[in-house]
Amino acid sequence: MTQAPPRPRFRLEPYVEFAKVAMAREATYRFDVFTSIASLVIRVYLLRMVWVALYARNAAPENLPLHAIITYSTVALLMGLVMDIDQTRALKDKLHDGSIATDFMKPIVVPLYFFADGTGEVLFHALLIVPSLLCALFLVHIDVPPPEVLAAFALSFLLGYFVGFCINFILNCTAFWTLEIHAVQLIVTWVTDLIGGEIVPLLLFPAGLQQVLMLLPFAAMFSTPLLIYVRVIPPAHYLQALALQAFWLVVLGGAAALMWRAGARRVVVQGG
Amino acid sequence: MKARAMWGAYREYWRINVLTTLEYRENFLLWLAFTVVYHGSALVALAVILHSFPSMNGWSFREMAFLYGLWMIGHALHNTLFSNVGEIPEHIRDGEFDRLLVRPLDPLFQVIATPGQVFPDELVLALCTFAAATWYSGVHVDAVFVAFVPLVALGGALIDLGLDLMIATVAFWFVRVDALRWIVLQLEQEFTRYPIGIYSRGVRLLLTVVFPFAFMNYFPATYFLHKAENGLGLAPAIGLLTPLIGLAFVTIAYLFWRLGLNRYQGVGH
Repeated sequence: MTQAPPRPRFRLEPYVEFAKVAMAREATYRFDVFTSIASLVIRVYLLRMVWVALYARNAAPENLPLHAIITYSTVALLMGLVMDIDQTRALKDKLHDGSIATDFMKPIVVPLYFFADGTGEVLFHALLIVPSLLCALFLVHIDVPPPEVLAAFALSFLLGYFVGFCINFILNCTAFWTLEIHAVQLIVTWVTDLIGGEIVPLLLFPAGLQQVLMLLPFAAMFSTPLLIYVRVIPPAHYLQALALQAFWLVVLGGAAALMWRAGARRVVVQGG
Repeated sequence: MKARAMWGAYREYWRINVLTTLEYRENFLLWLAFTVVYHGSALVALAVILHSFPSMNGWSFREMAFLYGLWMIGHALHNTLFSNVGEIPEHIRDGEFDRLLVRPLDPLFQVIATPGQVFPDELVLALCTFAAATWYSGVHVDAVFVAFVPLVALGGALIDLGLDLMIATVAFWFVRVDALRWIVLQLEQEFTRYPIGIYSRGVRLLLTVVFPFAFMNYFPATYFLHKAENGLGLAPAIGLLTPLIGLAFVTIAYLFWRLGLNRYQGVGH
């Protein structure tokens, strides 16, 4: 009679290593580093010119003066450096080439491996915020709010980041059932950019539409942290705003977990 | 003889494209949906911005929709006829390009006629958008308009082709040109959306002389819409030069391409 091996104790170190490897991997693509910084600087310039031209000939919205909207756009672009990354792309790739089968045999928690890998990638890109910000400061002036607002912004950004992570994870999980999902992912990205408030602040949308969009998870990714940063959301409403983000995180996190379980079972049934 | 061989190959190219598209119907529909979302979201963003700020340097949303539609037909024409040219740097890197050099037909023709999943869906979408934008902006449609719009679209497509060709040529020397390609693409897609009068003078000149995107839509649009300003204080009729600019630009690009091709010795596969 063979004895079942003892369940291995959970250790964090392998995941830290996975994250480190992912960071090193990202750093080797030097051209991409250059491209993301250059493209950010170009877009900062473009948005500055667009808003300056619009504010020059029209009445400014009451709660969004020119300096606030330029700050909003620049911070949105910097957030995009980490938000626009598909952290769990590896899951889709591994489902395509079948190598996910061997990952299931390893003594690791597979979703946590994808999380660690994605986190490493994101942390590397987060480092790019510093040189990008320095370059952007040549073109625009950015408002810096007081520390308590910055703290609320950081918390909101973090919640928004995890909401985005869940959405990406759910999309990548659909590769368990259908392999061609790239077009769908691009559609979601484009729609998120528009109705999440990354390009145009949701405040500028018509009032009725604006109220609906503010409730969606896409707003939780970009609009909420940004509106906290430019102080359109006052401290009195922080709790409400953060609670809505947390709500979406719980809902989407739950959906992601269910998708993963259903998908992982499928792989085992097929035998890889 | 050679022309007949090329014509035969080109017809076969389109036949395979259509068959491929029919075979992967769901995939085609998904990518079509993406194309709609891509252009739709750009137009919605413009509509939202100009809803709050009715004038952009003297341009209304209606006029900017026309500006977008004009860019779209040229760009979509390029995507339909020459989309493969943009892939050349990748094929130089992986060695695929070298195979074309030992075949009897012109390498550039072979690149253009490499079958894939090409279908004129974006072009149809662009024509519809342009027709709607023309009606919406109230442009006076006369004989000059009808005669020149197809030429402007062709000129725009040639400007796009010229840039792709120049970037491909640079790839003969510097194998990795992704960054360059990405930045030029971004300049085109985002900077053609707005009237160039909003940019600083240096950028206006850049978009006119170095990367002549302003000829794809801005100059012809100022002519058709009878706008007083055209960013560089040039005569409005400069908008009618687009086909010539496209032709000249692609000629220069082609000469550069031939020069690069003659010097090219492979990347060491």
